[in-house]
Amino acid sequence: MQPTTSKERTPDQGDAPPLLDVRNLKKYYGASRATPGGARRYVRAVDGVSFTLERASTLGIVGESGCGKSTAAKTIMRLIEPSGGQVLLDGVDITAMSRRRFRPYRQQLQIVFQDPYASLNPRMTAGAIVAEPLANYGWSRADREARAAELFDRVGLRRDAMRKYPHEFSGGQRQRIGIARALALDPKLIVCDEPVSALDVSIQAQVVNLLIDLQQELGIAYLFVAHDLAVVRHISDRVAVMYLGRVVESADADRLFADPRHPYTRALLSAVPRPEPGRRNGRIVLKGDVPSPMSPPSGCRFHTRCPHAVDRCTREEPELRDVGAGHEVACHFDP
Amino acid sequence: MTLEAKAPVDRERALGAQLPADREKVLEIDDLRVCFATPDGIVRAVDGVSYSLHAGETLGVVGESGCGKSVTAMSVLRLLASPPAVVAGGAIRYRGTDLLGLSEERMRSIRGNEISMIFQDPMTSLNPVLTIGEQIGEAVRLHQGLGRRAARERAVEMLALVNIPDPRRRADEYPHQFSGGMRQRAMIGLALACHPKVLIADEPTTALDVTIQAQILELLRKLEAETGTAIMMITHDLGVVAETCERVVVLYAGRKVEDAPARRLFAAAAHPYTRGLLASMPRLADGAARSHGRLTEIPGMVPSLKEPVPGCSFAPRCPVARPRCTRERPPLVALGDGHSVACWETERGA
Repeated sequence: MQPTTSKERTPDQGDAPPLLDVRNLKKYYGASRATPGGARRYVRAVDGVSFTLERASTLGIVGESGCGKSTAAKTIMRLIEPSGGQVLLDGVDITAMSRRRFRPYRQQLQIVFQDPYASLNPRMTAGAIVAEPLANYGWSRADREARAAELFDRVGLRRDAMRKYPHEFSGGQRQRIGIARALALDPKLIVCDEPVSALDVSIQAQVVNLLIDLQQELGIAYLFVAHDLAVVRHISDRVAVMYLGRVVESADADRLFADPRHPYTRALLSAVPRPEPGRRNGRIVLKGDVPSPMSPPSGCRFHTRCPHAVDRCTREEPELRDVGAGHEVACHFDP
Repeated sequence: MTLEAKAPVDRERALGAQLPADREKVLEIDDLRVCFATPDGIVRAVDGVSYSLHAGETLGVVGESGCGKSVTAMSVLRLLASPPAVVAGGAIRYRGTDLLGLSEERMRSIRGNEISMIFQDPMTSLNPVLTIGEQIGEAVRLHQGLGRRAARERAVEMLALVNIPDPRRRADEYPHQFSGGMRQRAMIGLALACHPKVLIADEPTTALDVTIQAQILELLRKLEAETGTAIMMITHDLGVVAETCERVVVLYAGRKVEDAPARRLFAAAAHPYTRGLLASMPRLADGAARSHGRLTEIPGMVPSLKEPVPGCSFAPRCPVARPRCTRERPPLVALGDGHSVACWETERGA
């Protein structure tokens, strides 16, 4: 599958490899045998995903529950070991190397989790949580404390909050602690796995703004995984839409939202309720539910719910192809 | 469908024959106060909230975590455990009868029958060891005295009504055999089985994906039009409100700050909190190039509900707050056309 160049607007990079180059990434989970002694079945959570991400830019990955977006993000970081494919960080394949050799690369790759309650150790102070990655990489106590204090300033928390425990913070503040922890080792890429979906709208705006400011100041790239399309549109340079373990469409964010080509993307965008009363036209209501990733439909995986599907869609799986200006669509038609 | 035949009068109303103000108030919440006794002190979760639900309308109740929207709903059905919850004052009138004064036995005949509720999480609100058909059947046998066979028929009918394919077979399945969207549809079928006058929907689509949410919202709209059931839609999502509700009540920190027809609220919100909420939402389609700029924030956070707030609870975060706002609680002021707001700034401007 062809890796894509998402940003032509930085010609000075020349032939430098993209920050992140994901090629045909797969993650299968072994499941039960259908019959005793029969063939083992697999849940194909991520089934051949490819994309690239440039420095200091944001790639949004959207899709519904079970589409594989979070698994893809965690597999890229090797929090889950991939079943196949490659992940290149600055041109270096990090999937094949040993855990020990991977350690220096792990510093470059950090993550912010969805649940600000479950992702902070309740028995550690906020300061210790933020300083822990530094301790793992051999920073001295004095340096750790100075760095943690600096990080608290940077994410908009008071320094005296370093002595408090997670339960003493609100959801939005906890997410700031999680962001400070991810920033500690000065990474090049932060995976944001639904970072604002547990927060109230007014607090969500605060955290999105913080992420945007940090990107501008520090030049961090984000892999931003979320189901909220409006937030993704707001923060992303490029967006990939996943369905049942595959990318079905990817394009520059403006282009994707202005001119969605894949029938699934169109349905997904039209399903989002808009805060404009009386505007109900043009909704595409999909029938039925997402099929099981254990036995994805033949041909195009979306054909069982697609309003345009024809016979060919049930047999041939469409490849992602460029329809112009880096806009890629995996559909036999270009409706 | 049988539901239509049973509620012809409400259906007329649902078709918009009358203005909301002229319609019967099926449910009236009047100066409700609910407190929780906690080890750290008394939390005033609902602090003098009043609003009403008219026959055949869908009313949106919006606000962020801790604003009291769910506690109000749970109070209507008297589902709050006491202790720790204490209803400290006010009334909840269902067609003129104060529910707070009823015996538990009488309340049980209303709950799930005349007023029913659907919850956010359809997995934990259905019984995992009973089939879907048994659960719907149980409600109609209990409230309407139907026999086993008739109850099963009603269950199949309700599943068909909420668009569950092959309802006769599905009625014999257990909740875990249903997908999330189907479970929520079954839950709606269960809630509507006794033809309630009022349906309280507490974040009915929050746990669902957007394409499934679209199916459920469409179903609720269809059912409201067909059955005339009044719906109280509790949600944090202003998009859901815009798509389903005729009127909206906005709560903040246990108080009502604004009450308006939906179109008006989205076109001309009067309370600084409502305006801030609308402004802080990222928009899917605003025509403009990738915004990428900063979103409008509401600074600070929701106040602790443990200390009594003498003034406006939004004052510490409000961009237009004046000294009076922290001292005196603003009364609800009518702006005309069924729009009212609790803000001193509005009073000055008027």
